[in-house]
Amino acid sequence: MSRAAVSPMLVRLAAEKATGALLRDHGTLYLVDGRVVHAESPAAPGVDVLLTTGGRLPREGWDEAVDRAGAHRAVGRFLVDSGRLHDGELEICHLGAVFDAAFFALSPTSGPTRFRYGVGHWFGTVRPVSAEAVERETVRRRELLDAVWPYAAVDTAPVVPRPASPGQTVGARQRVLLAAADGERTPAELARLLGRPAFHTLLDVRRLAAAGLVETPLAPEPAPPPQAFLPALPVADPDIALLRRLRDALEAHL
Amino acid sequence: MPGIDECLLEAMALPGALGASLVDWTSGLALGTAGDSPVGDHETTAAETAELARSAAEFDSFTTAADGPGAGPPVEDLIITTRAGYHVLRFVETSFDSSVFLHLWLDRDSGNLALARLRLRDLAERLVLG
Repeated sequence: MSRAAVSPMLVRLAAEKATGALLRDHGTLYLVDGRVVHAESPAAPGVDVLLTTGGRLPREGWDEAVDRAGAHRAVGRFLVDSGRLHDGELEICHLGAVFDAAFFALSPTSGPTRFRYGVGHWFGTVRPVSAEAVERETVRRRELLDAVWPYAAVDTAPVVPRPASPGQTVGARQRVLLAAADGERTPAELARLLGRPAFHTLLDVRRLAAAGLVETPLAPEPAPPPQAFLPALPVADPDIALLRRLRDALEAHL
Repeated sequence: MPGIDECLLEAMALPGALGASLVDWTSGLALGTAGDSPVGDHETTAAETAELARSAAEFDSFTTAADGPGAGPPVEDLIITTRAGYHVLRFVETSFDSSVFLHLWLDRDSGNLALARLRLRDLAERLVLG
């Protein structure tokens, strides 16, 4: 299966081993030597939310790390070196956050894509990932969502639970999600509330919708078909042809 | 205090180890890989093992109240034996919200399933506890 590049600019920047920030409508990717070292998107909870929501790190611990190491672009490293976090935890959490934010940052957009050479992120480098791997995973995630339940309307609508059928069971993670769904919160808001990656929440919502446990909103009215145009008649200049016929007809009556 | 790569390298040092990976079972993403995949593509294997792990982690029969409360799923590991090999999937419990497991693929003749299971448990703990 041939796949179009998610972002041709990202492919080019990876090839030229660029360092800087790739700014798109829905988020930003940070590159060092052409590899993705960080990503953020307003749609995806950051590492701070993931670590503090579940109580793994007190908010003050995070703030102090940013204060002390942000200027050196080494917040991630500082969290480990100061004993707040273990290497494996940092890598698992940060990689999860990077692929999550990248999924939204690389979502289809008509807006401009810009690259600021040399710009780095204060979190610092943890575990660089090839741009190709990020692109491939982003495409895989899009396909996975649609394979589960091809109704993108559930991604952005408030999550409205539906009663389970008799005997129908729900996994523990999805039970927590359903319990937090008050009929108003969207998947992105639920992700932030629960301290979970946003894509994981989208996927769980689609799985729940496919199981009939979450409402699937009606798709918006399809846009009216474009105005049908009559095929142009092969007449060089219809006005002149008409005028000639009128003149001929009038002369015939003289 | 190992990171993902050190952890996978240690798993690969086990007798009969053919491939190892750290996989997120909600999304099917491979966070790290070492050695080979049974199908020649770690990403495919990650997506497939993730489906298996997710079922085990979420089906009621494996997550009854008898297992007591805890942060992660009560399932500890999954073992698949095939004619030519062993697969051990070990859940990693983190104190923030995550859904990851270690997958170790072993050669049936040279691998030691009991040893691999114990070492993987140890590695899964050290990965997040240092």
